[in-house]
Formats: sequence, C-alpha cells, structure tokens
Amino acid sequence: MDANLPLSAASSLSGNWPWLSLICLLPAAMAPVLMLLPGDSNDPRLPRSIALGVLLADLLLMIWVFSQRFDGSSSALQLVERVPWVPSLGLEWSLAADGLSAPLVVLSGLVTLLSVAASWNIHQKTRLYFALLLLQASAQALVFLSQDFLLFFLSWELELVPVYLLIAIWGGSQRQYAATKFILYTATASLLILLSGLALALSGDHFTLNLSELATRSPGGTFGLLCYLGFLIGFGVKLPMFPLHTWLPDAHGEANAPVSMLLAGVLLKMGGYALLRFNVQMLPEAHVQLAPALIVLGIVNIVYGALNAFAQDNVKRRIACSSVSHMGFVLLGIGAVDSLGLSGAMLQMISHGLIAAAMFFVTGVFYERTKTLSIPNMGGLAKVLPITFAFFLASSLASLALPGMSGFVSEITVFLGVTSNGAFTVPFRIIAVVLAAIGLVLTPMYLLSLCRRVFFGPRIPALAVVGDMKPRELVIGLCLLVPTLTIGFWPRVAIDFYGASTTALASDLARHSLVALGRLPALG
Amino acid sequence: MDSAAPLAWLIPVLPLAGACLVGLGLISFNRTINRLRKPIAVFLISCVGASAVLSYTILAQQLAGAGATELLFNWASAGTFNLEMGFRVDPLGAVMLALVTTIALLVMVYSDGYMAHDQGYVRFFTYLALFSSSMLGLIISPNLLEIYVFWELVGMCSYLLVGFWYDRDAAANAAQKAFVVNRVGDFGLLLGILGLFWATGSFGFEEIGSRLQEAVAGGSLPNAAAILLCLLVFMGPMAKSAQFPLHVWLPDAMEGPTPISALIHAATMVAAGVFLVARLQPVYAPFPQVQLVIAVVGTITLVLGASIALTQMDLKKGLAYSTVSQLGYMMLAMGCGAPVAGMFHLVTHAFFKAMLFLGSGSVIHAMEEVVGHEPVLAQDMRLMGGLRKFMPVTAGTFLIGCVAISGIPPLAGFWSKDEILGQAFGSFPILWLAGFITAGMTAFYMFRLYFLTFEGQFRGNDSAIQATLLAAAGKAPAGDGSHRAGQHASQPHESGWQMAMPLVVLAVPSVLIGLLGTPWNSRFASLLDPEEAAEMAAHFSWGEFLPLAGASVAVSLVGIGLAVAAYALHKLDLGQVVAARFPALNAFLANKWYLDDINDKLFVQGSRKLARQVLEVDSKVVDGVVNLTGLITLGSGEGLKYFETGRAQFYALIVFGGVIALVALFSVLG
Repeated sequence: MDANLPLSAASSLSGNWPWLSLICLLPAAMAPVLMLLPGDSNDPRLPRSIALGVLLADLLLMIWVFSQRFDGSSSALQLVERVPWVPSLGLEWSLAADGLSAPLVVLSGLVTLLSVAASWNIHQKTRLYFALLLLQASAQALVFLSQDFLLFFLSWELELVPVYLLIAIWGGSQRQYAATKFILYTATASLLILLSGLALALSGDHFTLNLSELATRSPGGTFGLLCYLGFLIGFGVKLPMFPLHTWLPDAHGEANAPVSMLLAGVLLKMGGYALLRFNVQMLPEAHVQLAPALIVLGIVNIVYGALNAFAQDNVKRRIACSSVSHMGFVLLGIGAVDSLGLSGAMLQMISHGLIAAAMFFVTGVFYERTKTLSIPNMGGLAKVLPITFAFFLASSLASLALPGMSGFVSEITVFLGVTSNGAFTVPFRIIAVVLAAIGLVLTPMYLLSLCRRVFFGPRIPALAVVGDMKPRELVIGLCLLVPTLTIGFWPRVAIDFYGASTTALASDLARHSLVALGRLPALG
Repeated sequence: MDSAAPLAWLIPVLPLAGACLVGLGLISFNRTINRLRKPIAVFLISCVGASAVLSYTILAQQLAGAGATELLFNWASAGTFNLEMGFRVDPLGAVMLALVTTIALLVMVYSDGYMAHDQGYVRFFTYLALFSSSMLGLIISPNLLEIYVFWELVGMCSYLLVGFWYDRDAAANAAQKAFVVNRVGDFGLLLGILGLFWATGSFGFEEIGSRLQEAVAGGSLPNAAAILLCLLVFMGPMAKSAQFPLHVWLPDAMEGPTPISALIHAATMVAAGVFLVARLQPVYAPFPQVQLVIAVVGTITLVLGASIALTQMDLKKGLAYSTVSQLGYMMLAMGCGAPVAGMFHLVTHAFFKAMLFLGSGSVIHAMEEVVGHEPVLAQDMRLMGGLRKFMPVTAGTFLIGCVAISGIPPLAGFWSKDEILGQAFGSFPILWLAGFITAGMTAFYMFRLYFLTFEGQFRGNDSAIQATLLAAAGKAPAGDGSHRAGQHASQPHESGWQMAMPLVVLAVPSVLIGLLGTPWNSRFASLLDPEEAAEMAAHFSWGEFLPLAGASVAVSLVGIGLAVAAYALHKLDLGQVVAARFPALNAFLANKWYLDDINDKLFVQGSRKLARQVLEVDSKVVDGVVNLTGLITLGSGEGLKYFETGRAQFYALIVFGGVIALVALFSVLG
C-alpha cells in the first residue's frame, strides 16, 4: 500500500529542479530586499512594483510547473523534494504536490498577486506592507505544499504574523480588537493542531513527521477520535466552522479590502485543505464515524451564516457571513465522504476563493470612492458607478450559485454527493439536503438585497462619488471573474487537476467505512 | 438536404457569443460601445436572426419527419460518476425554438423604437440576446440538470431586465422579488431533481419516467415518495409559470420595460414551466394524483388571475393578470393529461399576448409623450381613452388580440382554449366549469381594457386625475403644470414603423395559427404526437364539438356584451354596482386576494425578524460563549488582560517562537 509513497529521502531532488521550493521561497526571499529599499517609507511605487513583479513571476512559475510538470490524472505525490533539515527532530524540508494542493497553490498565488494589485492606494509604511504580503505568499504556498508535519505547522503559524499585522496596522477603526481576536482564535487553534499532530507522530512504532507515513498509521478508536477532534477544532477556526466563526466578521469588517481578499480567498481555504489532508486522509476511520457530525455542522454553517448575513448592516461583514455560509458547503462535501462530495468540497474552495475575493475587491473599489460601508447610508450607486455595479452584481450572482459560474457546479456536486451516498440512512440524507437547500433560498435574499440597497434606487446626493473603475481595477476584476465563468462553463479545467486525488481519497474512505461496518478485515 | 439537427447547439451559442462580446465591450470601453447603438443592435439582431433561420430549418425538417436527435458529452465527473450535458432536437423542442426566436426577433426590432431614447439602449439589447440564448438553451436541454442550469439563467435575465431601470425603487424591489420567489420554486425543483436522481440514477426524462415506475412497481420506492418527488419538481414550473401561490412576482415584474413584459413575462420564459411539465409527461403520466394536483393548481390560478384582472386600472398589470390566468389554462391542460393541448395554447397565447403587450407598450410610449415618464400616470387607463383615433394600427391589432384571447372563432385563442376545455370536460367536469366561467371573465376584462384604452374621450390632459393618481401612489406631483406643458405634447401619436411592424406581423398568427390545430385535423398534434392526433381525428364528432364550443363562444359573447354595456355604451356602472352590493368581494379582488399582504407579513417581515434575532444570538451568545471558553482554557483571565490592553501582538509569536526555539535548540544539539 506504500507503492506510491516516496520511499527514500535520498532519492529526492535527483535530476529535478526544486520547483516547489522555488515557488515557496521566491516571495519570502524578496521581502527583506523590499525592507532595505532606500527612500520615503510612505512612497508606494517602488515596493509595489517589486512585489507585483515577484508575485507575477511566482504565479507564472506555478502555472508553468503545474501545467507541464504535474500529472492531474495521478493521485500520487509529485514533484517530491525531501531534504533532512533537523534530523534529531525528524524535521525535513519536504515538499510535494498532489491534486489537493496544486489547485489551491495556484489559487493562492493568483489571489495574492491581485491583492497586491488592489493595494494601489496604500500610502503608509508601504515597504513593510508589501514585504508582509510577500511573506504571506510564501507561507501560504508552504502550507499547501508541506509534507512534513512540523514544516506545515511552522508555515501555518508563520502565515498568522503578516495577517495579524496587516489587520492591526492598516485596518479600520476597530482594527486592534479585530486583530487580537483573530490571533487569539487562531493561536489557540494552533495549540490543538500541534498537540494532535505530535500525538499522531508519537503514536506509531517510530517517531515520524512525514505526512504520508503518518497517513498509513490511521489510528482508530478513542485515540483517533481525540486527534480528529483536535484537528477539527483547530482547522475549524480557520474554515471557519460554527461556533468558531465569530472572529471572521470582525476581521473582515476591519481589514482593508486587499487583506480581506486574502482572508476570504486563501486563508479560509487552508482550513478546508487541512481538513482534507489531516482529518480525512490521516484519520479515515474517525472521519467515517464523525462524518454525520460534519454534515450537521455544515448545514448549521450554511443556514446560520446566511441568516446572519441577512441581518448585517455593513457590506463587508455581510459578505464575511456569506463566507461562513458558503464554507458550510465545504464541510458538507467533506462530510459526504464519497468522491462526489469530496470533489464538490474541493471545487467549492476554489470557487469561493475566486468569488469571495472578487466580492471583497469590488467592495474595496466602491469603498475607496464612498468612504462608507454602512448599507443604510448607501443607495443609487449604479447610476454613478455602472461598471462597478456590473462587477458587483456579477460576483453576487456567482456567489448565489448561478449556473454558468463555478459556485453552481461545486454546490450541485456537493448536493449530489450527499444525495447519492449510500453510507447514510435515507431520512438523514433527506433532512440534510432539504436543510442545506434552504441556504439556496437565503443566499439571493441577502445578496440581492445588498445589491438593491447599495446600487439600486435613486442617487443619494450625500455620496459624493467620482470616477468609475479604472483599467487596473477592471483587469483585477476580470482576472477573478473569468476563471469563475470558465470553471462554471467547463468545470473539467479544475476537476481534471484534483479529480484523481479526491477519488483516491474517497475510495480509501469507502474501504475504512467497510472496515468500520465489519464487512472487511482491517488491514495491517 | 443535410440534417440541421447536429448544428442545433449553435442556436443558443450565437446570441450568447454576441452578448458576451458586447458585454465585454460595455465593461471595457463603455462610452464608445454605448455610442455605437445601431451597429450593435443590428449585430445582435442578426445573431438572433441566424438562430431563427436555423430553428426554422430544424422545424421544417421535423415536419418532414426527421427523427429526434440527441448529442451528449461528459461535462463533469467524479469517480465513476459522469455528469452529461448536450442537446436534443425533437418536435416539441423545434416548435418552441421557432416560437422563441420569432418573438425574440420581433421584440428586438420593436425595442429599437421603444428604447430609442434610453441611455441603456446597448445594455438592453445585450440582455435581450443573453435572455434569448438562455431560453433557447433551456429548450434544447436533454436532461433535467441542464434544464435547471438554463432555468436559473433565464431567471437571472429576468432579474436583470425587470431591474433594468435600476434607479427606480419599484423596479429594484420587483426584480429582487422575482428572483427570490423563483428561487423558492427552484428550491423544490432542485430537491426534486436530486430525489429523482437518487431514486432512478438518471437525469433523462424518459429514463426517469420508466425507472420511477419500475421502482414503484418493484416496491423499492413507496408510491407516496414518488408522488412527493414529482410534486417537488413541479414547484419549479409553479414559480416560473406564475401558478398560485407563487404567482406573486409576475405582476410586479411589469416594472421592467414593456418589450420585456412581452417577450419574457408573457410569451416565452413564463411558458417555460408549462414546457417543462410537457417534457416531464413520461414522469408524471403514471401518477394520477400528481396530475390532479397540477390540474387543481392550474384551475385556481386561472380563476385567480382572471378575477384580479377584472379590477386592474393599470394597463400592463391587467395584461399581467391575464397572463397568469392563461398560464393556468395551460397548466390545467397538462393536469388533464393533454400536453398537446397545453402546448398549443402556449403557442397561440405567445403570439397574441406578445402582440397585446407590445400594443400596450405602444400605448404607454404614446402616453409618455403626454404625461411624462411616470409609470403611475403613463400606464393608468383612467388617463387613456379615445386612443384609437390617434393610433389606429395599435388599436386595430389590440382589438384582434382581444378577440383572439376571448375565444371567438376562427381566431387562435378559440381553438386552443376550446381544446383545453374539452379535455377538462372529459377529465374533471368541476374544473371545466371553473375554466368555462373564467372564459367569460376573460372576454369581459379584455374588452374592458380595450374600451377604457382606445374608445371614448382622451383623458390624458386631465390634471385632476393625474394629481389623484400621484397622490394615491404616494408620490409628489413631480413636474408642475407649467413644466409639463413646456415639455410634453398635448395628444399622443402612433408609434414608428419599428414598433408598428411587429404588431402587424404578430396579428397574422394571432388570427390564423389556430387553424393548424382544428380538432378534426390538427397538424400541430400530428407533429408533437402523431398517435394522439390520429386518435383525435378518429374520435371527432360534430355532435360533441359543437355544444361545448358553442357554450364557450356564448359565454365569451356574454362577457363581451357586458363590457360593451359597461364601458362602451356606459349603460351600467359595474364598478359602482359591485362595490355597493358586494364590498367584501370588491375589496378582496382589489387587494389581489390579499396574497401580497400575506406574503409580506409572513415571509418578508418574518425572515428579516428571524435574521435579526439570529444575529443577536450570534453576537451576544455564540461569540461570548466561545470567547469565554477560550479565555477560561487559556488560564484565568490572562487572555482577557491581553484583550483589554491590546498588548497581544506577541501572543501568536509565543507559539511560533516556541517552536522556532525548539527547532534551533535541536539543530544545535543535533
């Protein structure tokens, strides 16, 4: 069963460029350069150009590597790099990509690049700002590509620092509170992740941090369940999962728009990715047992998040709550444990990453012009900002899972996954699908009422607004909406990347659920 | 001639490509594109025109006996599961393709005149092309899932077009209401599709039909569950085709520009529900209970629409409720197990109702010259009257439409409505009675509209009525008298050729198309269902046909007579009589059966209240409890101190730094 695992550390790097290391380290390596730039520390032009150039190069590299050197039809780890780092700890510089990580790395590369491009009007401590974004880009890529638990954990923690500072320094009036809440939630969660991971590492006959080796242990029983719960809470904060979601509206409400793009577009996806990588892949037995709980939590996320969104009076907080609702579909898909469900969860992450980033970006566009995010104070913006309106409406329609956009494909796949999974009883499936589908009715209610109250209606003279979207902003918006439409029309551009991996994961789960039911003897 | 069927995918793709191109241009080079009005209109009209040519070719080949064609490809897959998309061409689809492209084309030509002075002219044409594309895609969909895709897309286009004048609050509200109510229907549709997929493992119409029957017969699926699934799917058509109680969005949707009301909210999109039920006949047919529910819902709808139409003073709203009522007839036909009759009425209704709506648009356009761009004034019949003198083409075609919808032979509406009533008489006599009486109401309210609008004296310059209407709508009298006199004409004029030509063109099928569906030799039926056509012709007897048809014509004539007496000759004041004798009934009808109020109180206010309460719970309870738990676990208020003093910058670094230190320590030691 180890056939597709990298067997020996020594075989790594041989005859291959360390592409993944390059992808991960390039932005971080340039961050110090940025800090050492001479000149006015509030002048954005030079640091911004450098950051843009570096991240563009990084994105192109990612696209090239994953289109040329990566085989989406295989579920195996590819582009493996393993270098012993601290042998006494078992820590390795171990990077590899499979279908779960590859699309998310590209997504994070794209969103980070666009968020730098969206940060045109930062005029305060610009060198630090863009250096932090570069650091963030590296940490994100490392999270998705690490195959060593300690390396994963370090990058998971590393990524908190830039986000924390980005909120705390460049945020709104309540930024200190929001940043603190963010850090307290995620740091507490990190402790649980660390504990569960180390417990797993220590559980076998020898200590190992290698994720693939840990995955072969798949402990069951109470120990497995405890580890699972630790991971679930730890990653659930990031996802965010009810009731651990309350940091998100605060963080989004206070962060500036580019940081919100990162938060919604990339950070939340780390939670979903880690759930797949750790909870599903390493602890399949516990996952099969707890999958119904995940479905219930997913439904709560969907409906509860949507209701919260409907009542929010702040544009960004409303979109933040909609993220809670949409990430519920990720939980639902992961809980569905079959290949359709997992595929839907994966696609929902990609799709939501693009759509939420687009929504926060356009929000930033009109916030820069109106200087308000309070829905009751707005109205009639469509008359003065018709193109901004078009983009906001398009992202809202994408977000409410309109067919032709990626959100529809992912949500329908999740629904099909829950429906067709024979592992659950029929009444359970019926209730789950019906309750989750309520979200489909609530989503247009809060999103279209948001559009109506902000953009429709007669113009409000108090909102002195000049100038519609500029070419730069158009390009950013299109870079997010074109992939959304492409996936919506032809989902296989995304599915062909990760399909083999989610299918392999699902068949592994199916084996374990048979073991759990006593229909198959446990292996090993 | 080679078969055109394999090219059918081009029919929706051509307008889509055009719309995408212009849409992208609108986003990137807004001003330039907005200035290229005529070239873009011509370009988009040719896109839809090309689709129309292709559609007619396909229809001709289907008439000549070409078989059904289906082409599928793998759209998405996971594990062993494949989701297939593609297209199918069959007689039912071919008829709809020809119908939709014809009306779309005429409406686009008409819009060139109607929207000539609108700033959003290019945007309007783009939306029209987008809508045509979605609607045509829906028609050629080979399975339920693809239907759902285009179903939602036509809903989106409807949303965009109802809210086209986005600076009007009423339009904004109506657009949102239309989308949300349709989503409620789609909620059922999606659940039904998922359930049928679970029960049969398929999305195809015939496969679902046969496997569902097998599953019920084999005992693996309870009969009640199968019925429930069928009814869930039926929720989609209920919302889209404005069936009671989900019809509430359609009258409000009249806030959109009138060409849209003609194309989307009368002729094509609202008929999509009826079309889907026709497609689903193989699924529904084995379940008489489902058929009964469909028939009853259709009957309630047809009575409701007609009864509310009796009291409407807004010309477009009157036509909208008439549409609701006619859609009820179509649904009744579906419930009677007579999809051919329902589809026939769909086709005839599409022509004459599109003509009526375009005629009302012509009237409104003319009225705007006199009373200004204020829907409350321009659409109210109390300000119209005597328009026949000013606009003879519009009046003539409108009259043809009224005769057609009233069911006077040999115009189109007679044949199709009579066929439905005949079917209902055989299946559900009580429902037939309701449909029969409603036929009289239909004739009455249509001629009421005609007389109030086109006959008598022109009242458009009566500023007292204008002031009353504005006050009733809660609007301040916007332009005062002097302002209006300076800007507006004192009498209306006939519309230009772009608007008059489609009216005349549509008048032809409104008069003649019914002759294709005569019960003794129905070419329409022999295209859709040759067996049934042969059976109809074989069983036809004048002895059965004449009494029923005669009764329908008689009841229509009574309705027309009443309308003539009340609104042309002014011999009796029905409004006063009814209001005095039956105040409750009058209030009930004037308030549209109180359904809008119930909807507002129960669902709109209710959902807002629920959301507010949930948010309160979230910010006070959930947030608090999680924070508290976190703080307690962190150790007796240490975290709280950080929270308050804001010194927590370094908190994250504790964990992070700890691990770094550990790594460093081991590196040194190791």
